[in-house]
Amino acid sequence: MSTAQAAARLVPSFSRTAVLRLSVPQRGAAAVLVLLLLFAVAGPWVWPDPVAQDLSRFLQPPGLAEPLGRDHLGRSVVSRLAHATRLSLLMALGCVATAALVGTLAGVLAAWRGGVVDTVLHGLSEAFVALPALLVVLVASAIADGGLWPLYAGLALAQWVEYFRVVRARSAVLLSGPAVEAAGLLGLGPVHVLRRHLWPDLAPLLTTMATFGLGTSILALSTLGFVSVGVAPPTPELGQMVTEAFPFYDEAPWMSLAPVLVLVTVLLGLLGLRGRERSS
Amino acid sequence: MSVQVEELVVTSAGRPLVDVTDIRLAPGRAVTIVGESGSGKSLLAHAVMGTLAPDLEARGRLRLDGTGYDVAERGNRRHLWGRRMALLPQEPVLALDPTMRVGEQVAEGAPGFRSDRRAGRRRAAELLTTLGLGGWTRAYPHTLSGGMAQRVAFAAATIGGAGVLIADEPSKGLDDAARDALAALLRRHLAGGGVLLTITHDLDLARRLGGDVLVMRDAAVVERGPAEEVLHRPAHPYTRRLLAAEPGRWEARSRAGGSPDPGSAPALVSADGVSKGYDGRSVFADVSLTVRAGDRLALTGPSGSGKTTLGGVLLRLLPPDSGSVRHAPELGRGRLQKLYQDPAVAFPARVPIGTGLRDVLHRHRPEPGRLEGLMTAMRLGEPLLRRRPGQVSGGELQRLAIIRAMLLDPLLLFADEPTSRLDLVTQQETMSCLMEQVDRAGCGLVLVTHDRALARAVCDREVSLTPEPAGVPEHR
Repeated sequence: MSTAQAAARLVPSFSRTAVLRLSVPQRGAAAVLVLLLLFAVAGPWVWPDPVAQDLSRFLQPPGLAEPLGRDHLGRSVVSRLAHATRLSLLMALGCVATAALVGTLAGVLAAWRGGVVDTVLHGLSEAFVALPALLVVLVASAIADGGLWPLYAGLALAQWVEYFRVVRARSAVLLSGPAVEAAGLLGLGPVHVLRRHLWPDLAPLLTTMATFGLGTSILALSTLGFVSVGVAPPTPELGQMVTEAFPFYDEAPWMSLAPVLVLVTVLLGLLGLRGRERSS
Repeated sequence: MSVQVEELVVTSAGRPLVDVTDIRLAPGRAVTIVGESGSGKSLLAHAVMGTLAPDLEARGRLRLDGTGYDVAERGNRRHLWGRRMALLPQEPVLALDPTMRVGEQVAEGAPGFRSDRRAGRRRAAELLTTLGLGGWTRAYPHTLSGGMAQRVAFAAATIGGAGVLIADEPSKGLDDAARDALAALLRRHLAGGGVLLTITHDLDLARRLGGDVLVMRDAAVVERGPAEEVLHRPAHPYTRRLLAAEPGRWEARSRAGGSPDPGSAPALVSADGVSKGYDGRSVFADVSLTVRAGDRLALTGPSGSGKTTLGGVLLRLLPPDSGSVRHAPELGRGRLQKLYQDPAVAFPARVPIGTGLRDVLHRHRPEPGRLEGLMTAMRLGEPLLRRRPGQVSGGELQRLAIIRAMLLDPLLLFADEPTSRLDLVTQQETMSCLMEQVDRAGCGLVLVTHDRALARAVCDREVSLTPEPAGVPEHR
C-alpha cells in the first residue's frame, strides 16, 4: 500500500448529499430525466384527452394551440405523448421494482439457506435463463391481448433472474466471509447482517442494475408496441405511436419524431445517470 | 553493474514522503531499508522503478551503470523493466495473475518470448525447476502456498535477466521455512553478481542478508551502515526503539495473580483426537488439546498446517470430522471471541465502525461507559468510530477489534495471527494492548502465530501443528 492511499484512507468521510456526489454529466442526465418526469406527471393533466378525435384538423402542424400538432385522426400529439411517456415510465418502474424485489429476496434467501432452497431457486433461475426473455414477453402479451397486467408480469419475469444471480453470488461471498463470522461470534443476528453487511454492499449494485433495467424495460415495451403486440390502441404508447406515424412521415414528420425523441432522451438520460459506481 | 540514487524527493501535495540524498547499490552487496509502515520505504522503491502512483511527484536522479535517468519522468525507465531492473512485489499471491498457469506467467517475461515461445517456456520450466517448483508449471497461483508463490514471483521477476532486483516486503505473510528459503533465494541473486535493494520491516531478514542497512523514519534515512553495525550497535534512538520492538527482546510481562496452576483451573475447551479436512484432503489429524481458564496458549506451525481451521473447530464454527470437542457450559453466546489476521475484513466494510459497535452494545448492553473506557485504555479517539474499516490503519483497526471482542467479556479469545500484517513497533503496541485486556479480563488466550519469539514473549505454553503431507499438484 502506498502512502498516498494511506493518506486518502485517513481523510474522514463526511456525508454529502446525493446531488453533490454526482459528476457533472450525471447531473445533466438527472436534470433531463427530471424534466421528462415532469412532462409525464403534469402532461396528462394539462392535455387530458389523448383519444379525442377532430378529423377536420388531421395532420395539423405544430402551433401555439397544439405544440406538437395533430395526428392522422386529428388527436393531439402532445397529449398522446404525455400519456405514453407516463405509461412507459410507470410500467418500467413497476417491472424493475418487482424484478429487483423478487430477485433480491430470492438471491439472499438462496445464499443464506443454501441446500434445497438454493438448489430449487437456482434451478428455477436457470430455467428462466434458458427461455429467451423476449419470448416470455411475446407469449405474455399474446395471452394479454393488449392488456397491461400480462405485459407487466412478462417483463418482470424476464428480468428477475439478473438480480437473483448477482445478489446470490455477492451474498454468498459476504455470508461466508470473516465479517459475518465475527458477527455470529458477537451474537448478532440476521437483522444486523442484513442491515450492516448485505444491504450497504448490495445497494449500489442494485441501483446500477435498476437504472439499466429501466432503460431495457422502456425499450422492450416500445419495441412490442412498434410490432403491434404491446399495449392495444387507442391507448397511446411510444412504440405504437411511431408505427402509426409511419405512413405520414413525409407530411407530418413531427408525429414520428416526437416519440422517438422521448425514447432517445429517456435512454440517454438513464445511461448518463448510471455512470461509475462509487466505491468506498 | 551499479545503481546510484541521488537527491530523491517524493512529495504528495507538497508534503515530503521520501527525502533521501544518496543510496549506492553495488553488485553482490545487499542494501536493506528498514522502518515502520508509513516511513516511505515502499515509495522509495517505486520511485526508483518509475512506478509511483500518478498523484505523487518525484524529483532526483538515478544512475544505472553511468546512464542517468530523471526520476521525475515516468516513462523513461520502462524499457529497463524486467531486463535490467525488476520489482519483486509485496504479497505475491495477489501479484500473480490468477487466471494464468504458473509456467506461462513466468515464460512471458523471458527475453524473445514473442518470437520464440517454446524457448521461453523451456527457460521458465528450467528456472522453476531450479527453484524447486519443477512439477508446478501447469498449476494455477491459488493452488500454491505463500512461499511457493513468492518463488514464482521471483522467477517471473528475474527471468528477463534483470540484474537489479528490488524486493518490497518480500517476507510478509511467510512462515519460518518459507522465509529461510526466501533469504537463500535473495542471497543467491547477490552471489550471482546481482544488485539487491530490499524494503522490509523484518529485521531478521535484514540480518540474514547482511550488507548495508538504512533505517528510514518519516521520509528520511536516520541511520545507515553495515548490517552488523546498525543492527547490533545502533546509534540512533529510533533504531534502538525499532530493535527493542522485536518480540525476542520484549521485557517480560508480570502477570496479575501469576500463572494459573495448570491442572486445577477448569477446562474451557477440550479437544480429543480431532481431525478435519476439506474435499477429501486432510488439514490436520488427531489433535488433542485442552484450554483452561486463564491459559496462554500459542498455536504454531507452518502455513497450511490447519491453525485457523483448528480455531474454527474450537470456536464451534466448524464441526470436526472425527474426535470430540467439549465446551464448558459457561461458554455461552459471545463468550468465545476471535481476532482476525486482517481486521479490515472482520468489520462490515461499508458502514462506519461505530455503527457496527453500536449494534453490539444494543444486543448485549454492557454497563454504560464501557466502550468509552476501552477506547481510552487503547489510546483510540472517538473520531475513529465515524470512519469505515478501510479508512483506519491496520494497528488501530486491530485495537478496535480487540475492543469489540472485549465488550462481551469473553472467557476465551482466539487470536489468529493478529499482528502478522503489522510492523514491529505497531505489533508491540497492539500486543501490549491485547495482553493488558486479557490480563484484566482474566480470559484464556489462544494465539496463532508463526513467530516463535512472539509466542515465547506472551504465552505460557505452545502447541505446534505439523502439516499433513501435501498432495501431488493437481493438473487440470
